Amino acid sequence: MNSRQDCILTIDLGTGSVRIFAFDLEGVFIGSMKGSYPTFHREPDQSEQDPEQIFITVLYVLKNLLTERIKPAGYHVTAICFSAAMHSVLPVDKKGNPLGNAITWSDNRGKQEARELKNTSLGKAIYDATGTPIHPMSPLIKIAWMKNQDKERFNKTTRFLSLKSYIIQQLTGETIIDYSLASATGLFNIHSFQWEQAALDYAGVTVSRLPELVPVFYSTLRLRGEFQSSLGLSSNTKIIAGASDGCLATLGAGVWGEGKATITVEQSGAVRVVGKDVLIDEKQRLFNYVLTKDYYVSGGPTNNGGVIFEWFTREFGSFRKAFDLEDSMAGLIQEASRIPAGSDGLLFLPYLLGERAPIWNANARGLYFGLNMQHRQQHFIRATIEGILYEIYSIGKTLEEHRSIHTLSINGSFTAYPFWAQMIADIFNKPVHVKNNSDSIGLGAFLLTATEMGLYKSLEEATRGIDVPGMYRPDRNNHEVYMRLFRIFERLSSKLADDFEDIANLQS
Amino acid sequence: MNSYLFQKGLSGELELFPHIIEFGLKKVQTIRLSSFPIERTTAFSIYYIWDGRYDWNIDGDPYILYPSDLALVLPGQTLGSPRSTFDIGSISWLTLDNSHGSWSGFSPTESRSIQKILELNAIPVAAGMKEAGRIFQQLTQELHLQEIGFQTRVNQLIDALLILVTRQFIHQSHSQRDFSGSFMKLEQELRKNLSHQWAVDEMAALVGLGTTAFTEKVKSYTGFSPLNYLINIRISEAIKLLKQTNTNLTDIALDTGFYSSQHFSTTFKKLTGYTPSQFRKDNTDKP
Repeated sequence: MNSRQDCILTIDLGTGSVRIFAFDLEGVFIGSMKGSYPTFHREPDQSEQDPEQIFITVLYVLKNLLTERIKPAGYHVTAICFSAAMHSVLPVDKKGNPLGNAITWSDNRGKQEARELKNTSLGKAIYDATGTPIHPMSPLIKIAWMKNQDKERFNKTTRFLSLKSYIIQQLTGETIIDYSLASATGLFNIHSFQWEQAALDYAGVTVSRLPELVPVFYSTLRLRGEFQSSLGLSSNTKIIAGASDGCLATLGAGVWGEGKATITVEQSGAVRVVGKDVLIDEKQRLFNYVLTKDYYVSGGPTNNGGVIFEWFTREFGSFRKAFDLEDSMAGLIQEASRIPAGSDGLLFLPYLLGERAPIWNANARGLYFGLNMQHRQQHFIRATIEGILYEIYSIGKTLEEHRSIHTLSINGSFTAYPFWAQMIADIFNKPVHVKNNSDSIGLGAFLLTATEMGLYKSLEEATRGIDVPGMYRPDRNNHEVYMRLFRIFERLSSKLADDFEDIANLQS
Repeated sequence: MNSYLFQKGLSGELELFPHIIEFGLKKVQTIRLSSFPIERTTAFSIYYIWDGRYDWNIDGDPYILYPSDLALVLPGQTLGSPRSTFDIGSISWLTLDNSHGSWSGFSPTESRSIQKILELNAIPVAAGMKEAGRIFQQLTQELHLQEIGFQTRVNQLIDALLILVTRQFIHQSHSQRDFSGSFMKLEQELRKNLSHQWAVDEMAALVGLGTTAFTEKVKSYTGFSPLNYLINIRISEAIKLLKQTNTNLTDIALDTGFYSSQHFSTTFKKLTGYTPSQFRKDNTDKP
């Protein structure tokens, strides 16, 4: 090993954990480590995280990775790039200290505010300007909620940060937010690349109460001296602002060009495309986030991804070993594979957590439909997986109203099961390439950093080198079976709106 | 079976067992008014239903108890019948003082874990506990007959009863399916008792796993060993106290579970690069 070889670290602040990856300058993966932190749900619709615990976890994992992997192998860190989950809000006081916990994307306390704003002309104008659907996930709504429901905290707040802004502020002393993450706040104009005044007025804040906007390539920040010495990093280590996890996963999946889309299935899920133009959707079903001034990442998110299959496994799977969810899930998938495509007419609507794209109905609920006496337990397993993927297909179909899609790159822990990957290929009737999601985010952040350092001329060039792993080809017969069921799926999803409302009210 | 009641200080049968406050069996054939009002208890009691149907309120929640059900009432909780009457039937109970003394065969850690689990128990009633009934019968016999070795046997039987109850409550509160849910509950407990010197086997017991399986599971779930995860929580709570209060460093150290302010400073500095006092100065003096 050379005495001094350069490397790049990428830090991803995900929903439940931080993952740090190390790459050499050629993009060869050196090592990674993760550390998780909890989400608190102390009252209905609440989702919060402790910013100090996240900060400590970042430091701890960073230190462990450096001392256990990076330094023993003789690497020198030249740059550190950040990615993060979208939509978090952390109010801080004038010293930059948190006022309570951070509110994360799945917090639904602003549902009243969102419902009232969504279909007004102001709501529509804000959506067109900011690209973020009017929804409780959006910091726009979260801040408005705080203004209405938590006045004391709202008034005490000097600045509303994202969790990533807070971590970067702790490490460097500067308070910034990159364009990409800002474009998921509902407060940022994706056409002019400035805070959107109408949105700020609605939320009741001024520009001075938000972090400073910087491009994703922004690289002038440096670590505070204390961290340089405690981590053993040099004073000229570049800190790169980076982007949101969704945009970087899309970049890292190599979906950079016409005719491509990426599907992520983790706990939640998303379908995304990249283009030079914003997708204009009259019904406000799709998001438009930015990576750089040249690229928009557009698509739709689902609440009901792998989390639904985990729910099914916990409730109905068999556990040979305590808490071994993975083993139990693998067993269920094995059983599901013995049932023909279409589950002999058993159909599942996966809306256990309400739904975002494309129906955007927080009151939607789950349903097994079409049961007859021939259906066995195995049919339920297969129908459950099919239902989760019909929902994802319905997002894809909405996107196809705007863009043509020829191939799919899929990532996320659930797409690692060949059974799921094949089913996605069959339902979409398109060839599917599989990549690992956390790898995709890390790789995306690496490509961004390498482009900033001039190792690539452009992001487009950077993505050309991404290898395209194993491919699944669609089965036309299965596709036809799935489409017959999907038509019913789509009809039920809209037809049941009133009944969803009634049953949700009854449950609340 | 006939009714009987042994009470500490009054019954010679309990002379060798200062930890037993009461041991009795009650058969009720007629309902008497105000025989069982809801009152706060001061000791730790286990009830076993032989016969009848009992309408009880335990610490504010209503429960209906049937034969072979077992109920656990902790010191400070309330217990009684909503109609204030003792229902018809027969019931055994054992009341212990809360100190796990030298009478018990438990190791100190076992004793601590069992106490923690029983304290945390959210559902104080377990059904189908015939095994507990057998232990109550044997206890009755030992105390009545007082044959050679009965002192040891009685204490062993009480240990056996506590193990049985603890295991039952672990199985009741953890399906052994949802690790994230169980881990979240543990997280809350750690935060609630951060100054407590948590041992790994104690944490493992709260999730219903053995130490090795628990450590492995936590490591793959969080990326940290259980004790390192705990340090994460300790330091993050300490950071908040440093920023938001004037509490002195020793108190912060002890409140967040460090042995001493020295231990706190070393760990803090190792992780954050700052000593606690530097950190406080940097984060509170800034404009």
